Amino acid sequence: MKRVPLTGGKMVLTADEQAIETRHLGFTISPHEECAVEEAVRLVEANGGETVVLTLGPAAAEEQLRDSMAIGADRAVLLKTDGVEWDAQATAGAIVDAIRAEEPFDLILFGNESADASNYQVGIRVAYALGLPVVTGLKKISLEGAQVRCECDAGGARDVYVVPMPAVLTVLEGLNLPRYPSVPGRLRAKSKPLAVSEPARPPSQLEKLRLVVPAGQGKQAEILGEGPSAAPRVVEVMQSLGVA
Amino acid sequence: MCGGLFARRGLFLTRLVLAGKPSPPRGDVAARARNEVVLVLGQRKLLQRLVPGLMHAFIFWGFLVLFPTIVMAAISAVDKHATIPWLGHQGWFMALVDVFVLLVLAGVVTAVAIRKVVRPQRFAGSHRGEADLILALIAGVVLTLLCWHAARIAAGLNEWPAHESFLSNALSRAFPHGPVLERLFVWAHLCFIFGFLAYLPYSKHLHIATAVANVWLARTRARGKLLALRFDLPDDELRFGAGTVADLTQKEILDAFSCTECGRCQDACPAHATGKILSPKLLIMGIRDQVFAQSTEPIVGNGVPEEMIWDCVTCGACVEACPVSIEHIDHIVDLRRQRVMVDSQFPAEAEPMLRDVERSANPWGKPQTERAAWADELGVRVLEPGDPAPEYLYWVGCAASFDERAKKSAESTAKLLAKAGVDFAILGPREACTGDPARRMGNEYVFQGYAEQNVATLNESGVTKIVASCPHCFNTLANEYGDFGGNYEVLHHTELLAELVDSGRLQPKAGSESITYHDSCYLARHNDVRLEPRKLLNVIGQPVEMKRSGKQTFCCGAGGAHMWMEERGKPISEERAREAVETGAETLAVACPFCTVMLDDGVKGVGSAMRVADVATLLAESIDAG
Amino acid sequence: MSTLVFVEPDDDLSLQALAFARTLGDVRAVSLDGAYAPAAWAAAIVSAAQGADTIVAAGSDRGNELLAHVAARLDKPFAANVTRIDGDVVTRIRWGGSLLEEARLHGSPRILTVAPHTHAAEAAGAPIELLVPDASDASPRVLERVEEQAGGVSLRDAKVVVSGGRGVGSAEGFAIIEELAGLLGAAVGCSRVVTSAGWRPHADQVGQTGTKISADLYVACGISGATQHIAGAKGAKKILAINSDREAPIFASADYGVIGDLHEIVPAISAELRKVRG
Repeated sequence: MKRVPLTGGKMVLTADEQAIETRHLGFTISPHEECAVEEAVRLVEANGGETVVLTLGPAAAEEQLRDSMAIGADRAVLLKTDGVEWDAQATAGAIVDAIRAEEPFDLILFGNESADASNYQVGIRVAYALGLPVVTGLKKISLEGAQVRCECDAGGARDVYVVPMPAVLTVLEGLNLPRYPSVPGRLRAKSKPLAVSEPARPPSQLEKLRLVVPAGQGKQAEILGEGPSAAPRVVEVMQSLGVA
Repeated sequence: MCGGLFARRGLFLTRLVLAGKPSPPRGDVAARARNEVVLVLGQRKLLQRLVPGLMHAFIFWGFLVLFPTIVMAAISAVDKHATIPWLGHQGWFMALVDVFVLLVLAGVVTAVAIRKVVRPQRFAGSHRGEADLILALIAGVVLTLLCWHAARIAAGLNEWPAHESFLSNALSRAFPHGPVLERLFVWAHLCFIFGFLAYLPYSKHLHIATAVANVWLARTRARGKLLALRFDLPDDELRFGAGTVADLTQKEILDAFSCTECGRCQDACPAHATGKILSPKLLIMGIRDQVFAQSTEPIVGNGVPEEMIWDCVTCGACVEACPVSIEHIDHIVDLRRQRVMVDSQFPAEAEPMLRDVERSANPWGKPQTERAAWADELGVRVLEPGDPAPEYLYWVGCAASFDERAKKSAESTAKLLAKAGVDFAILGPREACTGDPARRMGNEYVFQGYAEQNVATLNESGVTKIVASCPHCFNTLANEYGDFGGNYEVLHHTELLAELVDSGRLQPKAGSESITYHDSCYLARHNDVRLEPRKLLNVIGQPVEMKRSGKQTFCCGAGGAHMWMEERGKPISEERAREAVETGAETLAVACPFCTVMLDDGVKGVGSAMRVADVATLLAESIDAG
Repeated sequence: MSTLVFVEPDDDLSLQALAFARTLGDVRAVSLDGAYAPAAWAAAIVSAAQGADTIVAAGSDRGNELLAHVAARLDKPFAANVTRIDGDVVTRIRWGGSLLEEARLHGSPRILTVAPHTHAAEAAGAPIELLVPDASDASPRVLERVEEQAGGVSLRDAKVVVSGGRGVGSAEGFAIIEELAGLLGAAVGCSRVVTSAGWRPHADQVGQTGTKISADLYVACGISGATQHIAGAKGAKKILAINSDREAPIFASADYGVIGDLHEIVPAISAELRKVRG
């Protein structure tokens, strides 16, 4: 999972244009993987086993790892960076190394894409490197013996895959509603194991040059009126758009 | 035998109270002693309703005055010719006894009339049969006492001048002169007394034993301050609130034992008044029943319906009304704490607020970078780390920083302070939510995180004086942060503004606008700030009071985290707005950002165009107009 | 310069990607059919891409997934949701469109998907080659398609969406939103706060992590306009915002606005619609 800032209504960049200015911003687990953590905890609650939660991020990402352990993950791994962003390929590589150092997993869950960088590829790359099948964009997961039945949206329908474990799955928000952590859970999480390592960052193949806030964020809406008396004007506009 | 029954039950109940979790040590002895005199002896809260108050006062004072007669009867039962030395011979005392017998009987008759004829709503849910029995027993006690004295006179055994006890004397004329009646009545009297004694600890009349202690232990000031939990304890000592009766504190158990089912709290409760199922009385009775049964089941769902604990707006009207100083809010918050922190079961619509407070440092999840946006064009100093501390730190609060209607009060306050030349600054993005909504919701853990963070920010900055425009922030900063190392001199903005007007640094023009003032619960009731806003409004316009004002104020409906929870039934805000509109005033003045929003909605909801504005805004307008 | 473009039949986003690819030089358009099997299809694309210097697809769910597979297979970098390319420097989308990244895409072939609605679609022109995936490939494939018993209009396809946010106040409060939606034949949407509060199901959520709409009109009631929400709404041609806070960020992304209490304004609009329809 990934630690991402809660940006609100406007994007403000640091002076060097390399990152969002996050001073005074709150942080959270990126929404898709928040559901992945919840799903993992549920699967282990129902079927036994162990949930490990892993992130590549700055030291402060421990906050998100402890939050995950508060809802039931058993232990955490922090691949600590110095705060500089890693690209998706490098991220996947570090994750693969960390996973190889562990006992084999039955399922490896990812968010489909992170809220900030949105590269859509980390889970898939990890699967290829480990030689595991991968299904993405999932809204429903259910275990069927040694296989897992996965569903994702396809237009107005659901596409169903059945894959043998071990497998990599990437999920979308809507998979479940993450639980609210209990305080006993948070207190226990403080002493659950957290393994920290500091992988070396390889040269970037998708090399970020700078971030840019797109123009047009300063659009100003035409105010049609105030209060219910604006209704006739609204309907006029709707008619001119051909929707009323 | 009766003594034995009484003692056994009494020991059982005492053990139950002592088995409770410890309550913190209570200082401020002088104030507690004063409460005993005023509330217990003086019956002050009861006398707020004159007729029922007098009814009870007569019976209670009667009980005090007549107490020696119980000893006299007991002595006389053993030795017909003996009595209490000296007192037993005082005619004036026996006259007093006669007077109080009459008063007690008057009280009993009035009580019966109230219960059977008037039938007030506050008794809905109370055990009326039990009350009737108690009244009958009281009548029995005093009637047998009177008859015994009369029979004693008739038998010539009176140790006091008979003519002084006019009533017993008059009655004695109707009695035969023999000794039998006197013995009959003394034993009858003792039977009533001892029967009552044995019954007492099994009934709500228990309050006569527990009320004195309960009044002593109740908060004397800062009634809005909740008791902190500790999370840094070994697992088996952790307390997360009240799940079962085993988690209740000693004060909470004593509260439950002190309830007389009078229903004054139920009458005062704004949730109850607007159709919610919450009744503070039924809540305490429910807890009491669980305690008596020594139940191991969760209180919520077994003695107390779940909905009740979420209906509460923590306004404190119940606590204020209770004649035996039950502190209902502690119970409700402790029950909430268990549901929120351990069970993770609470109204779903509050979850975003709790997550937002925790992750974004404000309950609306807005980015803190924009917290001082309201101050952008006003040239307000934002205190950065390392800057010299201002004389006053203006704590704006989340609502006034982010809510479009509440922002006006922050702008007005900042302009007024600047105009008066006050040296002040705001923390801007470093001002995190005080944690009040999380704490009232029951998430003590998240609250404490912010308490510690804010105290660190304030202490590092060298701030000693804080002015807050939100009564909830004010309450937390002034009363609750002390538990976390934060001790500041905290003023509500109306207090500081009143000072500035008094000293001439601000000069408002007198106005003719009719204004009615809504007292905020957290300001007026929990913290006794009632005068200063009125001082300002007296200068600005023509104030007119609502009936439920000052300590008896009626909530706007936002407290207890209800700003973020759905409300079933009729809106409390409209109930209060109606009252304001009925005064006929042009303007409804408020001193709290929550009240501003809730009552603005409420006024619109009842179809009125009454203006709702903060006192600071009205003051600023009257100064600009000058 | 030769570019291999994966297209899906009858897909507007694919035609946008094709138009983009044509700006780079020669284009060879390919497609696959049969049961979707991302790894197998990606293998077929890789084979077909021998000699191409760029591989392009639409930045749709499927396009991003397929080219991520392609990139993983080739162990080459992949830039998702690109809006422009200048030599080896791409501009791509972050935060659902609220932020752009300029990055140097190393290696060859360049693998990228085209951000939806950043280029006008062009007709296919030359015929699209049909590739055939390896039949013996055992990687995951779609086993079945389950139709959803969805009543009402699908959020993704709706021409009009009427959406409610925190300002609606409760699940019951959505009655007025549903009423207006009914009159307009619109789908009902909501913001993330609403789904977290349990007032509406996640299927109704419009946003970066919910559904990205492409309606003709999006009516946002009581929604403040956080970037993650706008990311899902900006595909709409026109946005009308109704909010009591005139400084709410949504007005910076909306075409039209009404200031005031949605509980009064939305029913008034419904009433006006009924009135003009007679």
